[in-house]
Amino acid sequence: MLWLYLHFPHLVLDHIRRTREDQGALVVVEGSGQKVIQACSEARSQGIRSGMRLKTAISLAPDLGMVRADETQEARILEDQARWLYRYAAHIVLVPPDGLLAEIGSLQKLYGGLPAVWQTVEQGLNERQLNAWIGIGYTPLAARLIARAGKGECTADKGHILRSLSQMPLLAAEFNEKACTRLQRLGLNTLGEVFDLPPGELARRLSPELLAYIQKIQGTRPDPRTPWQPPHSFRQQADFVQEIEHTQGLLFPLQRMLSELEEDLCWRQQDTDSLRLVLRHRNAEPTRLQIRTSGPEHRADNFLNLIRLRLEQHSLSAPVISMVLLVKRFLSREAPYGQDLLGETQDLNEAWHTLISRLQARLGDQALRQLSPQADHRPERAWSASEVLRKTGTPLTPAAELPRRPLWLLKGPQPLTEAPAVWFSGPERISGGWWDGQRVHRDYYIAQLNSGQLAWVFRDAREGWFVHGWFG
Amino acid sequence: MSELLNTLMQDARVWQGHRHTQTSQPAEPTGYRVLDNQLGGLGWPRGALSECLLDAPGIGELHLLLPLMQRVCEEGKSVFWLNPPHTPYAPALAREGVNLDQVVLIHTEDEGDFLWTLENCLRSPVTGLVMAWPGKLASREVRRLQLAAEAGSNVCVLFRERRYAEQNSPAALRLELEPGEQQGLKVNVLKRRGSWPGQRCSLAMAQRADLAFRETTRVVRGPWSGSTG
Repeated sequence: MLWLYLHFPHLVLDHIRRTREDQGALVVVEGSGQKVIQACSEARSQGIRSGMRLKTAISLAPDLGMVRADETQEARILEDQARWLYRYAAHIVLVPPDGLLAEIGSLQKLYGGLPAVWQTVEQGLNERQLNAWIGIGYTPLAARLIARAGKGECTADKGHILRSLSQMPLLAAEFNEKACTRLQRLGLNTLGEVFDLPPGELARRLSPELLAYIQKIQGTRPDPRTPWQPPHSFRQQADFVQEIEHTQGLLFPLQRMLSELEEDLCWRQQDTDSLRLVLRHRNAEPTRLQIRTSGPEHRADNFLNLIRLRLEQHSLSAPVISMVLLVKRFLSREAPYGQDLLGETQDLNEAWHTLISRLQARLGDQALRQLSPQADHRPERAWSASEVLRKTGTPLTPAAELPRRPLWLLKGPQPLTEAPAVWFSGPERISGGWWDGQRVHRDYYIAQLNSGQLAWVFRDAREGWFVHGWFG
Repeated sequence: MSELLNTLMQDARVWQGHRHTQTSQPAEPTGYRVLDNQLGGLGWPRGALSECLLDAPGIGELHLLLPLMQRVCEEGKSVFWLNPPHTPYAPALAREGVNLDQVVLIHTEDEGDFLWTLENCLRSPVTGLVMAWPGKLASREVRRLQLAAEAGSNVCVLFRERRYAEQNSPAALRLELEPGEQQGLKVNVLKRRGSWPGQRCSLAMAQRADLAFRETTRVVRGPWSGSTG
């Protein structure tokens, strides 16, 4: 098996720089906020080094952007990288805090040789503006050591890999401190010299664990790794160095997150119809927004338009420190269902979904309604309003046997204030509802009022005369 | 210069009072031959606003649009009802052969939302017909809607009160509706493109309550005494 190791020397920095429009100096400081752990190239050019005290760094670069190191955040960012790498390689192992292993031996044939695999991975890194050191080895540990030493080369030649491993100084071989000192006291300086020692002696004089480690590098002892499984949801987070106060400022990072989502959906061959956007504030409850489209969708532009509409309606309650985009609901992508050349085309269907989604985003889901008749004798229950859905089924045939009803139904019966000018037909007795307590017992007439309106009036057994509808 | 003038003269939108120009503007027949004849054989203009001015509902104003509604639904396009004053009654629409899957009811809270929604509906290719009850509208807003209507090719009918009849309006077609004889609907053309207004006609609308061909009323008195009728 051939392994490829990606070592990210400053992953957190890369992650944060991507969501920033300005490219100022940026450092990661340790948890207590005293020391600089990572510095971006811009900061390094101003003389900031990792290990420097924060005060010194600030005096060197007064407008320094600072991010506090956070283990869970690092783990999450690393997993984000695994997600895109998973598109190219099936067997991926996370090596926290800053490494990824991918088995590439089986990919050579697919991509057409090792250089092609290498190039694909490098391209993926460039697209995401990530800095990573790549190493290749026949064991996970060998690949890791080569990558971390920055000696990675695009070769699958066993002898060559072994040679570069052998030349590696002991300090770079990641032995524990005690073992490293003991080996140095023995007069050994490179990894190759340790490889040459007889295994039995190594275990007896030093420790069996050290022998196991050496053998894992060499590949004579199995080193099983549990492969990473991609989650069944999409999650992207953007962390901001400077708090964002206007919704306009959220659109730039959103654009990138949504194009990432589009890529992810394309790769899954799926669509979605609901996004969740969580805006975190420093001292307030996070704002949760649910963005829904009326039909399956995967294009970033359409999502962005809907979110823009929502954000225009919704002003920020507090400055935003981070933003999470979540998608949990995936719909399988359907083949275009154009029935025939002259029938309803995909375009019309799409335009319908775009229009309805836009309207819903601005007016709210409740503002749009579709009507349908219900099987009930009581007029106010003979219809219902439901959420808008695109139905492709054949329409119901007009039921001529339905009784004559007015096109307008009043929201509630209105008292009849005048005696109608002409009576036309009636009574039609509607009596029902004894089964659910909403008793109705009425005699309906069609009558014309003095104003010329044709009304549907009824007389209730107890309460008098009411208008219930207009024949519009 | 004269060429430019000629093109302008041929365009039906430049209207010369002394002759009726056969207009070439796109339109949808109303489904009522009498009314179509009064409207120069055209009907509801597409890609423009129409206004129906009436005092109160229940005089046949929806039946005036029903033939168009049925046709639009058959074509698979949508009918939007924007802020209707009452509930369109689903069983009655189904009985008239309107495909309810194509009917979308929209309620907006304020005027800004109303105009925005109407503009969006008008610009969309899925829309066949928009019926809107705007309440108060400034002339400037009607103009804005007229422009939005021109961007699409849909029929848009605004239902407004009759007192707006005196106010001028950029709408392409303005009809004043009144209840007529025998439950009919009197239509008075206040404005139309390409010709003189002022045509009047009366449409038979008695069928909307199954009253056609009936000489005498068919009321059977209820069992209660002292009915107001």
